[in-house]
Amino acid sequence: MSYKPPTKDRRLAKVVLPVSRRGLMKAGLGASAGLLLPRMGATALAQTKYPALGTFPAGVGDKSVFIGGVMPLTGPYSASGKDMQLGFELAVEHLNKGSRVTEQIPTLKKGNGVLGKTIQFQVADSQTKPDPAVEAATRFIRDNKAVMLTGTVNSAVSIALEKLGQREHVIVMIGNSGSNDTTGKDCQRYGFRAQPSAYMAAKALAPVLAKELGKDKKAAYLVPDYTYGHSVYDSMKQFTEQAGWKTVGQQLVPLGTSDFSSYLLNIGNSGADVFVNVAFGADATASTKQAQQFGILSKMKYVVPNISQFQAKELGAAIMGGTYGTQAWWWTEEDTYPLAKSFVEDFEKKNNYKPRWGASEVYIQMLVWADAVERAGTFYPIEVIKALEAGHKVNSIYGEVYYRGDDHQMVRPVPVMVGKKPSEMKGPEDFFQVLELVPGEQVLPPIAETGCKMPPIES
Amino acid sequence: MPTLAQFLSQAFNGVALGSLLALIASGLSIILGTLGVLNFAHGAMFMLGSYTAFVVLGHSDSFGLALLLGALVLMIVGLATERGLIRFYYSRPKEDQILVTFGLGIMIVEAVRYLFGGLSQPVPLPSWGQGIVNLGFFLYPLYRVEVIGIVAALLLAFYLLLYRTRIGLVVRAGIEDPLMVELLGTHVRRMFMIVFTIGAMAAGIAGVIYAPLAAVIPNMGEPFLVECFVVIVIGGLGSFPGAVVGGILVGEILSLTTLFDPAYAQAAIYAAMTLVLLIRPRGLFGAMGRA
Amino acid sequence: MAGRNGRLLARWMPELAMTAALVLLPFAFGAWLGSVDLFTRILIWGIFGLGFALLFGRSGLLSFGQAAFYGTGGFVTAYLLTSGTLSSVWLALLAGIAAAAAFSLLVGFLALRRVGIYFTMITLAFGELSYFLENSPLSRFTGGENGLPGVPAPSLQLGSFVYSFSGSWPSYQLVAGFFFVGFLFARFVVLSPVGAVLTGIRQNAERTAALGHDVGAYKLAVFAIAAIFSGCAGGLLGIFQSYMPPDAFALDTSGQLVIQTVMGGAGTLIGPTVGAAIWLILRDLLQQLPAIGSLWEFVLGAVFVLLITFMPSGIVATIMRAASPFWPRRSQASVATVSSADSATRQALLAPLRLPVAPGGAPARYALEAQDVSKAYGGIHAVEGVSLALPQGTLHAIIGPNGAGKSTFLRLLKREESIDSGKILLHGVDITTADVTAAYQYGLSKSYQINQLFPLLTVRQNLRLGALARQRGRLRLDVFRAADGFPKVEALVEALSEELGLAECADVVVNTLAYGEKRRLELGLALASQPSVLLLDEPLAGLSPAERDDIKKLIRSLRKGRTILLVEHDMDAVFELAERITVLHEGSKLAEGTPKEISGDPQVREAYLGGMAP
Repeated sequence: MSYKPPTKDRRLAKVVLPVSRRGLMKAGLGASAGLLLPRMGATALAQTKYPALGTFPAGVGDKSVFIGGVMPLTGPYSASGKDMQLGFELAVEHLNKGSRVTEQIPTLKKGNGVLGKTIQFQVADSQTKPDPAVEAATRFIRDNKAVMLTGTVNSAVSIALEKLGQREHVIVMIGNSGSNDTTGKDCQRYGFRAQPSAYMAAKALAPVLAKELGKDKKAAYLVPDYTYGHSVYDSMKQFTEQAGWKTVGQQLVPLGTSDFSSYLLNIGNSGADVFVNVAFGADATASTKQAQQFGILSKMKYVVPNISQFQAKELGAAIMGGTYGTQAWWWTEEDTYPLAKSFVEDFEKKNNYKPRWGASEVYIQMLVWADAVERAGTFYPIEVIKALEAGHKVNSIYGEVYYRGDDHQMVRPVPVMVGKKPSEMKGPEDFFQVLELVPGEQVLPPIAETGCKMPPIES
Repeated sequence: MPTLAQFLSQAFNGVALGSLLALIASGLSIILGTLGVLNFAHGAMFMLGSYTAFVVLGHSDSFGLALLLGALVLMIVGLATERGLIRFYYSRPKEDQILVTFGLGIMIVEAVRYLFGGLSQPVPLPSWGQGIVNLGFFLYPLYRVEVIGIVAALLLAFYLLLYRTRIGLVVRAGIEDPLMVELLGTHVRRMFMIVFTIGAMAAGIAGVIYAPLAAVIPNMGEPFLVECFVVIVIGGLGSFPGAVVGGILVGEILSLTTLFDPAYAQAAIYAAMTLVLLIRPRGLFGAMGRA
Repeated sequence: MAGRNGRLLARWMPELAMTAALVLLPFAFGAWLGSVDLFTRILIWGIFGLGFALLFGRSGLLSFGQAAFYGTGGFVTAYLLTSGTLSSVWLALLAGIAAAAAFSLLVGFLALRRVGIYFTMITLAFGELSYFLENSPLSRFTGGENGLPGVPAPSLQLGSFVYSFSGSWPSYQLVAGFFFVGFLFARFVVLSPVGAVLTGIRQNAERTAALGHDVGAYKLAVFAIAAIFSGCAGGLLGIFQSYMPPDAFALDTSGQLVIQTVMGGAGTLIGPTVGAAIWLILRDLLQQLPAIGSLWEFVLGAVFVLLITFMPSGIVATIMRAASPFWPRRSQASVATVSSADSATRQALLAPLRLPVAPGGAPARYALEAQDVSKAYGGIHAVEGVSLALPQGTLHAIIGPNGAGKSTFLRLLKREESIDSGKILLHGVDITTADVTAAYQYGLSKSYQINQLFPLLTVRQNLRLGALARQRGRLRLDVFRAADGFPKVEALVEALSEELGLAECADVVVNTLAYGEKRRLELGLALASQPSVLLLDEPLAGLSPAERDDIKKLIRSLRKGRTILLVEHDMDAVFELAERITVLHEGSKLAEGTPKEISGDPQVREAYLGGMAP
C-alpha cells in the first residue's frame, strides 16, 4: 500500500481555515509558511534551492536542528532503553563539541555540530509499545520539526516508526530491530537499520557453531511467538541445516510468558543436544535461568542467536559461560577498532559501565547520518538519503561501515562470541570472548530474497 | 499426541505452578471476601516480596531470613496501605476501591523501577534447592519440588489460621456476613486491617519463593494478577479452599494446554473463567450473595 | 431565566459551550502546548470516554474491557482500508463501528448476566481474550504485534472540490466533528427516557425492573452504545496516525480509559475528556522535566490516587459544584397540563388503566387469584399451598406472625421470584411464569415494606420513572425524546404528587426527605403505573399516628376501581380497612374470613392475636 502525499490538500487547508500565523505553521504547510517563521535566517533561505519536504527547511534553525529519540524508559525493555539513551546523549555531545572519535572522521572533524548547527534533542518514552512511540515520534515531527528520528527497541515499534517517517518524509534511524522484515518486506525509503538482521546473524553464527560444536547436531528451539521470533528461527534453521544440523523441536512461546517450565520440559524430552533460545530481554533471562534449573544447560550446548544487552550481567558468568551467540557489538571490539576504544572510554567515564550494543548502535548511526548530511551539504531529506545510499564507507567504531542502497541495511561486522566462564574473566564486565568478526558483506541476504521493494525516492 | 511421560511431566508442572498461584490467590481472595476490595495492587505486592529476597540474598545466604524479611516488609506495606489509604474507601462505591488499588499498583511498580532500574535482578537458588531430581518419567528441578512442599506448609498454616483460631473465625464470619459480625460487637475495622495485612503477606511470601525461579523485574507481578483473578473466580470469591483448588486447576490448564497448542494457554484460562461466571457464578466453593 | 426561551437556552447551553470550546481551545492553548495534535488525541479519548460515561457513569456498569471494542472498531476499519477491500474511509469507519457493536452484543449477552465485580471481571477477561485473538489467530488480518500501518485519511468530495482530512488541522477538524456529533447524541441519550431508566438502573436496578422497564435489555443497549463510541474512537485513531497499534486491545488501554474517566468525573459527559487532557498533557510534560523523566508514571499514579481520594466525583463535577452559585438555575417546572385541579380530575387521571380481558372475552371472576401456591428455600417451606381469590374491587388483608410467609407470598404474586408449584391468575390471565416487568405491564403493582426509591433523584423524577413504562412498554430506545416529553406522563406525575401531598417537594432530591414523605412516595411509585391490582407490603410501617391516618385515607380513596391486597401488622388499621382477612401461619393458610370472624377465631387468637379476647 503506497502513501499518497497530501501536498495538494495542505494548500487547500490553508485557504479554508482563517487562522493565525501560528496556526498556519502548525498546519504543516510548505515553504510559504516556513518563510513566515521568525527564527529562520539566511541559511535556511539559502537552502531553498530545495523544495520544502517533511520538516525541511522548517526544522533547520539558525543555530540548531532537532533530533528526536524514541526509546523505552518504562516497561519490560527499560534497561536497554536507558543504555540507548546514554549512547544517544554521548553521540550528540561528540558531534556538538568534537571528540577523539569524530576527529578521525573527515567530515566530522570540525566538531561543531552538523553543517554548523548544534544538535538539540529530546528522548520520549515509548513504553515498549508501538502506540506511545508513534505518538511521541509524531509530536517530534509536528511540534519540534525533527530532522531525524532515532532509537527504538523491538521490531514492531521500529517498523511503525519507519512507516511514519516514510509518510512524513523524515529519516528514521533504527538502532534495535532484529526482524528481517524491517529491511525486508516492510522496508522504507526513509528507514535505515543498523543492527544485523536475523538472517545476517544466523548466517554468521551457523558456520562458527558447526566449527566449534560439530556438524551432526540436533537442535531444539524456544521461539517467542511473534514476527521477530519467527524471523530468527527461520534464519537459524536455514543456516544450521545448511551446515549439517537437524532441527528436532520448536516450542512456540506466547509473548508475556514468565514461566517456561512447560516448554523446557518438552525441550528436555526432545532428544536434542543443542538448545537454541530465541527469546529476548527479560524473557531470555527467565528462560535461561529456568533452563539451567531444569538441567537442560548441563546436558545440552546453549546457543542464543541474538544476545540481549544485559543478559550476561543479569544471569552471571556461571550460567552464560560457554554460551554461543551473536550481539550487534561487544565492547572488547575496542581491541580491533581504535575508535571503539575512545567510545568505550568516554562512555565509561560518564556512566560507570561499559556500553552495550544498544548504546553503540544509536551512537554509530548518529555519526553515519551526520557524515551523510555533511557530504550532501544539506538537510534536505532526499539528498541525505542519496548520500546514505551512495555506499560511502565511514570509519566508525565498527570499522568501515556503510548502508546498502537497495534495502538500507547497514553493512558492518557481525561479532560471533562465546560466553566466558568466571575463571576466564579478566574484569567484572568481561563476559564474552569474540570468536570471529564476520564481515558484513559475507552475510548480507541477496536483495531478491529480502522481499524489499523500496518506494521511489520522490514518494 | 503427547506421550504419557510428557503428560505426566506437564501435569506435575501444573501442580508446581498452581500451588504458587494458590498462595497468591488466597491472599487476594480473603481480602476480596472480607473487605470487598478487589486489590489491583496485589501483583505489585508479590513483586515487592521478590525484590526483598533480592536485597536480602545479596547480603546473606539464609533463605529463611529472606522469607522472614519478605513477610515483614509486606506486613508493613499491607498495614500502611490499609491504614493510610484503603480505610478511607470503605463507605465508597466498590469501583473506587478497585481504582485506588489500581493507582497504587502503578505507583509501587514505578517506584521500584526508579530505585532498582529495569534490569532483571539475579536471585540465587538456596543451597538446598539446587540440582535435579529424577521423578521416574522425567527430570525436574529440585527447587520446584521443594516449592510445592513449602507452599503446602504455608497453605496449611493459612488454613489453621482461618479455621482454628478466633481471628480466623471472625474473618470467615465476616466474609459471610459483615453486618452481622459488626452487630455482634467485633471491631470490624481492626479485622479489615488484619485481613488486608495477611493477604499482602501471602503475596509477598510467594514473591520471595518465586524470585529464584524467574526474572525479577518491576513488571513481574502483572501476569500473576490477572491469573489470580481467574483463580478466585473459578474457586469462589472469598473462599480459601476455592483459591487452593482454583490455583491448582488454573496451573493445570496452563500446563496441559501447552501440550497441544501453547498459544492458546492464556485464552484457555479466560474461557474457563467466563464459563464459570456464566454457569456457576459463585465458583466451585464460593458462598452465594457476594455480587 | 424564566419562560420558554430561558428553558431552550438552558437545554442547549452545553452544546453551545462545547461548540465554542472545540473551536476556540486549540487556538488558545495550541501555541503553548505545541500542536493541535494533542487536542486531536484528547478528543479521540474523549469519544471513547463519552460511551464509557454512559456505561459507567450513568448506568453503573464498570467495564475493564472496553479496549475490546476500541480495538475491534480500529482494526476492522484499518484492515478494510489497507487490504484494499474498501476505498471509502467513511464506509470503512462505519463497518468498524458496526463490527464493534456486533461484538459488544455478544460480549454483553454473556457479561451482563452477572452484576458488580463479576461483571467487571468478565469484561476484563473478554478484553484480554480480544488482545490474544488480535495477536495470534487473527494476526494475518491484524498484523499481530506490528499492527496495521498505512491507514489512509478520509476526504470529502463536493463536486470538484476535494478536502482531504490529512495533516494536523484537518485531522483535528475530522475528530472534533465526530466528537461533537457524539456529544450531541450522548446528550440526547442522557436527557431521554432511556437516560432516566439507566439512571434508575444505577440507583436501584430491582425497583426499575419492578416498574416495568426491561433492565437487562436496557443494559445491553447501553453496552452496545458504549461499544459504538469505542469503535468510532478506535477507527479514528488508526486514521489519525495512519497506523493502528496492537496495544489498542491491551488491558492498559481499558485501564487508562477508566483512570481518565474517574479523574475527570464519570458522572458528566465531558469528565472523560478532561481526564484525558490531564493525563496526556501531564505525561508529555513530566517526561521532559529532568527531575522526573522516567518517573512520570509514578507521578501520574500518585496524582490519580490523590484525585480519587479527595475529589471522588471527579474534577469536572467538583468545579461545577464550586461554580454553581454563579450558574443561572435551570427552571425545574415541567409542562403541566393540569393545574392544581380538583380531586375529581386527579382521580380521573389516576384511575386504573383498562383491565386485561381473559381469553374468551368475558371479564374474569377474580381480579387476582392464587391457586395452591408453594415456594421452598432449601428445606424451608416459606409458602405452602396457599390459595387466595380476590374479587374485583375488594380490599383484602393478610396477617400473620413474623416468618409466616406474608412477604414471600407477596413477592411471588408480584413475580419477583419463581413459584415452585401452583398458579397465579391476574384477571383470569395466567401469569405464573411471567417476570416482574411483565407483571407491571399487566397492571399489577407493589409498594415495598422497606422503601425502594431512587435516592438521588427528585420526587418528580421518581414518579416519572414509575409512569414511563406504561407509556413506553418494557423497552423503547427513544433517545431523541425528552424524558419529560410525554404530556400524559407529566400530567399523571403532577396529579400523583398532589394526591400524595408531595407537590411542594416535587423537585426535592429524595434522600433529603423525611421518612413519612418517603413512605408516601413509595406508595406513589406503586400507583404510577395506574395498576388495577395493588399489593401493599406494610405501608404503615414506621409512621406516626397522624401519618397513618393520612395513608389509611389514601388507601380508602384508592379502592375505587382497584383491587387491593394489604399486608400489615397494625391490627386496628387492618380491621378498619379490610373486607376480608387471610391469616398465614408458618407458610400455610390458618384462617380466612371477615374481620369479625377472624377476631373471633380461637386458633388465630392463639397464634397471633395474643390469646386474649378483643
